[in-house]
Amino acid sequence: MAVTKEQVESTLNSKLNPSHLDVSDTSGGCGASYCVEIVSEQFEGKRLLERHRMVNTALAEEMKQIHALSITKALTPQQWALQNPPPPNPQSPPAAA
Amino acid sequence: MAALNLSSSLHSPSSLRRFPNFHPSRSTPTISFYSLPKPSIPFPSTSLVQKTALISRRLNVVVSAVKNLSETELVPVSSENEFPSDSGVYAIYNDSDDLQFIGITRNLAASVLTHKKSVPELCFSVKVGVVEEPDKTALTEAWKSWMQEHIAASGKVPPGNEPGNTTWVKKAAPRKKPDLRLTPGSHVQLTVPLEDLIDRLVKENKVVAFIKGSRSAPLCGFSQRVVGILESQGVEYESVDVLDEEYNYGLRETLKKYSNWPTFPQVFVNGDLLGGCDILTSMHENGELAGLFKQ
Repeated sequence: MAVTKEQVESTLNSKLNPSHLDVSDTSGGCGASYCVEIVSEQFEGKRLLERHRMVNTALAEEMKQIHALSITKALTPQQWALQNPPPPNPQSPPAAA
Repeated sequence: MAALNLSSSLHSPSSLRRFPNFHPSRSTPTISFYSLPKPSIPFPSTSLVQKTALISRRLNVVVSAVKNLSETELVPVSSENEFPSDSGVYAIYNDSDDLQFIGITRNLAASVLTHKKSVPELCFSVKVGVVEEPDKTALTEAWKSWMQEHIAASGKVPPGNEPGNTTWVKKAAPRKKPDLRLTPGSHVQLTVPLEDLIDRLVKENKVVAFIKGSRSAPLCGFSQRVVGILESQGVEYESVDVLDEEYNYGLRETLKKYSNWPTFPQVFVNGDLLGGCDILTSMHENGELAGLFKQ
């Protein structure tokens, strides 16, 4: 039985409470291979290895059926904000010139 | 028939000794001077004589196809002069007509061009000799005969043929370190648990990569990427092939438990698991890896 993208998302949402989550199915439809981008407060102060472990642990059940899980990003909200500066708000006055 | 003036070169053993691959007894086309009634006559030692004589007789035919070095015309390397694209032997001269290098090739024209491009300052003119029926032995013999002739005439090995001179040979990729083996072989009963061996290995080496396949030819795309990242960082690292059932038997299962990490490759830094391919890729992209290895 394959794991659906929705299952992966809901599990990660409930266990890691991410502020940003992007799960994409890289298996070509069979549901055995996923790529995950995840941003969560819970990663604060943790090394990348520990963050990956957290994701793997959260998905322990699903992993039994997932053949390959690639975690391309596991960031804290702060890091995420640095990498993805919010689009400039057209309503706000321009910064002092 | 090329008269190979070997007798004089045989009288200058000091110059011959400087050339490590040079076996006068094996390559001696001189034998033909004696028209071989009994091949053992010209040779003081007896053990190799029979064989040597046979080889030399056969090779004489081949060697005679190439002109002597001194009889070969010296041709400037320029766009007007086209060289044959055949196999053969060639000698490269600098602008003072000093011999720089003698080489053999499967394509004279291509080799001359390559040398001209890579060392234009030393590659001024060239002599080429096409070798008919160019098997490896015939080429080698042609090369030896030119080398011998030059050594006999000048008492010197061409500078480019001196051991350690890499001017004319394509710089081979730096030799890769061998992969580490955890055990002496699957037939040997270990006296220490494999886990302890892993533990010692990762603690004694700054960076250790457990990969599928060898570092020179990784067998999985993720291992390949990890090796590529480590090499691009220019970091010294050890590698262990987890697929090597002979010397690393049982490593995959034991290592998974040791590191509590389910997949390979696994990279350890200072005794701690750094991560697999995803983690290394992320850290490589954001620069953390470079910072880590600088310490």
